Amino acid sequence: MKTLYKKELQYYLNNPIGYIVIVLFAVFANFLFVKDIFVVGSVSMRSFFQLLPWLFLIYIPALSMRIVAEEKRTNTLEVLLTLPLSETQVILAKFLALVTIVGVSLTLTLGLPVSLSFLSGLYLPEIVAGYFGSLLLTSFYISLSMFFSSQTKNQVVAFLLSILALFLFTVISTDVTASILPRSIQDFLVIFSPMNHLLNFIKGVIEVRSLFYFISGTLVFLFLAVIDLEKRE
Amino acid sequence: MLMILLTSVTKRFRNTLAVDNISFKAKQGEIIGFLGVNGAGKTTTMRLLLGYLNSTSGKISIDNLNPLKDRIQVLRNVGYLPENNPLYQEMKVDEYLTFIAAVKGKTILRDTIDQVGLEDVIKSKIENLSRGYKQRVGLVAALIGNPQILILDEPTSGLDPIEQEKIRKLIKKLSSDKTIIFSTHILSEVEDVATRLIIIHKGKIVYDGKKPRGRGGVEKLFKKLVK
Repeated sequence: MKTLYKKELQYYLNNPIGYIVIVLFAVFANFLFVKDIFVVGSVSMRSFFQLLPWLFLIYIPALSMRIVAEEKRTNTLEVLLTLPLSETQVILAKFLALVTIVGVSLTLTLGLPVSLSFLSGLYLPEIVAGYFGSLLLTSFYISLSMFFSSQTKNQVVAFLLSILALFLFTVISTDVTASILPRSIQDFLVIFSPMNHLLNFIKGVIEVRSLFYFISGTLVFLFLAVIDLEKRE
Repeated sequence: MLMILLTSVTKRFRNTLAVDNISFKAKQGEIIGFLGVNGAGKTTTMRLLLGYLNSTSGKISIDNLNPLKDRIQVLRNVGYLPENNPLYQEMKVDEYLTFIAAVKGKTILRDTIDQVGLEDVIKSKIENLSRGYKQRVGLVAALIGNPQILILDEPTSGLDPIEQEKIRKLIKKLSSDKTIIFSTHILSEVEDVATRLIIIHKGKIVYDGKKPRGRGGVEKLFKKLVK
């Protein structure tokens, strides 16, 4: 599994497009936050963490779309699954590689809290919890995108389906749905909203139910991807 | 030593019967030429042997192990060259072979690289290689770890006659301590390489036995059975 994890990482690191995508994400994330910081006039990272899910909406499907779909299209999945590797190992290695790449991208934004700390005192637990929550959100989004990548041989289809699913997950607790849906349904949907759970982390609160939500959600979609590999007919 | 045993194996894909109640055994040292027209069930049978596909009914044993339940253990001792030889095109030859060796937990045999003639392109990207070289990469990957069972799906497909001859010689050389099953459309290849012939047609084994003697014997038998 470690070998496959390294191979997947090298795919992005030996490829200029990998670096371009990572740097573009970091530039956008930093710029979109910094451009409003003096307008808002508040030294807080909250708006940055609230912005991240919207950036992930494109970034994670773009990174994940090829991860299984391309193996299916080129039939290299047959090579992998006729090596002494289980389906679970294949999916986990790919998942961890993607989490590492997005983790590196998030690391490139660490300059923001460091810079802000020079302007005014930052509440460190809030920053740590915010990054931790963002990483959990990343894992959840990656597993969901990997599930869609495992359903098709076409990367573009995987990309579009992932964006659609992530968009729906992201907007279910926002004002958009609040204005359309009845209050009772809205209250129910909030339970499944990653934004709602991320909000706890952004406030510096690590709640067990939010941890459970992200971890179980990630495992469910990884499990579904494994099931798809096991079918292979 | 008995390495492969298939008993009344059937594989159905929804409404298509790909493999229909086939049985055969293979011993160490045998080179079995698996012959059949496109869609006869050769690739499906090979995938069943590897545990890549699950049979609808019947029993398969590889070195006394069940390829589905003991898939990882079985695959440690099997080398496989898939149909059309899918490879990671973005990798260099040595990177690809090192990757396969690391997953198998084995080392690459430098001898095999020399025998197959890959040393000149070992640092080249796979996507830049000719079809012949790509086929050799796939073959070396299958041979990593010196597996006791080799399953080769059309190993000489797309190669020129000189390269075909090289691969045939290598297969013959490897056969002494291995069980080799290879599929092909080239009838003369079976005549040249195989010690035993299995002809599969519409999912059924229509011939399992020694090669017919004499030049063109395989062709005559094949045409007679597969009309």
